[in-house]
Amino acid sequence: MSDQREPEGIVLTEAQKRSRRQRSIAIALALGVLVLLFFAVTIVKGPAVLNRPL
Amino acid sequence: MSVVDHNAIELPRISEAEVGDYIALLKPRVMSLVIFTALVGLVIAPGHFHPVLAFTSLLCIAVGAGASGALNMALEGDIDALMTRTANRPIPRGRVTRPEAMAFGMTLAFFSVMTLGILVNWYAGALLAFTIFFYVVIYTMWLKRWTAQNIVIGGAAGSLPPVVAWVAATGSLSVEPLLLFLIIFCWTPPHFWALALFRSDDYARAGVPMLPVVAGPDATRLQILLYTIVLVAVAAAPWPLGYFDAIYGVTSLVLGAGMLACAVDVYRRRERAGSLRATRKMFAFSILYLFALFATLLLEEVAHAVAARIG
Repeated sequence: MSDQREPEGIVLTEAQKRSRRQRSIAIALALGVLVLLFFAVTIVKGPAVLNRPL
Repeated sequence: MSVVDHNAIELPRISEAEVGDYIALLKPRVMSLVIFTALVGLVIAPGHFHPVLAFTSLLCIAVGAGASGALNMALEGDIDALMTRTANRPIPRGRVTRPEAMAFGMTLAFFSVMTLGILVNWYAGALLAFTIFFYVVIYTMWLKRWTAQNIVIGGAAGSLPPVVAWVAATGSLSVEPLLLFLIIFCWTPPHFWALALFRSDDYARAGVPMLPVVAGPDATRLQILLYTIVLVAVAAAPWPLGYFDAIYGVTSLVLGAGMLACAVDVYRRRERAGSLRATRKMFAFSILYLFALFATLLLEEVAHAVAARIG
């Protein structure tokens, strides 16, 4: 009896894996930009970061 | 052997959409005009606005506009598939599903509004939220399939970015951004009806009640001419009213003369080939018109700033 079993469930094709990886990188970059943006604005505003109109 | 027969159940669809497909959902060309008009709103706003906050505001307005585009495509997948101009969009091509586009658009809308509110000010955040709501719910879901005045009223959404930018920079509202709003608002009908004239077969096939489909090409030509006359007057008005200076005023009149010439050409040329050429020219010139008009305001402001530094 062989140890090699057929993978169960959904197996992604190469194209699906590639596009998923691309999308994951894009999401990571977008989140990185968001973090940097909040960091930069916090530095720019200093303690005034808590003073917002309304 | 599996107990479950995999052929008997429907497997979930695995997306092969690439980043480019999602970027296409943002309508990058529309986004570029939004960024540019918002930039002018930011630059002409009085007082000092930190560049980091200015960049944040522009980014949020751009992402908000992109979110509107994605939500619009999610809601109009059926229409887009029927029209030559839009058949190549990611949803009709089957690259992205409508729920995926909807989730993408909602996420971007949420983050753009919240980020603008938290980092800049909540007036601007609220106005950006209203802009997205107006474009998606009032224009896309309601007006577009219901009335020939769809792009007239819906044009308000496209006119708001410089106002959002001004509010982001100043925390308040004033006459100048409302003048920019009015200019874009009056510009939208002749711009889109020129497009609708040479794409009227597309709109008729999709059942969208654009003016040329509902009222016919001749009525549309007249409306284009009338709106262009109003546009030229509205665009020049800030000069005598003292809001923008003579350089802007003269530029607006020169550009306005070009717009009027195009509109008269559209009105006069009724035969097929001539009409097609005239409407295409009007559509292209209208983009140049708005860009040049706003660029004048931008350059003037930059020139004033440079002069103040040197002086």
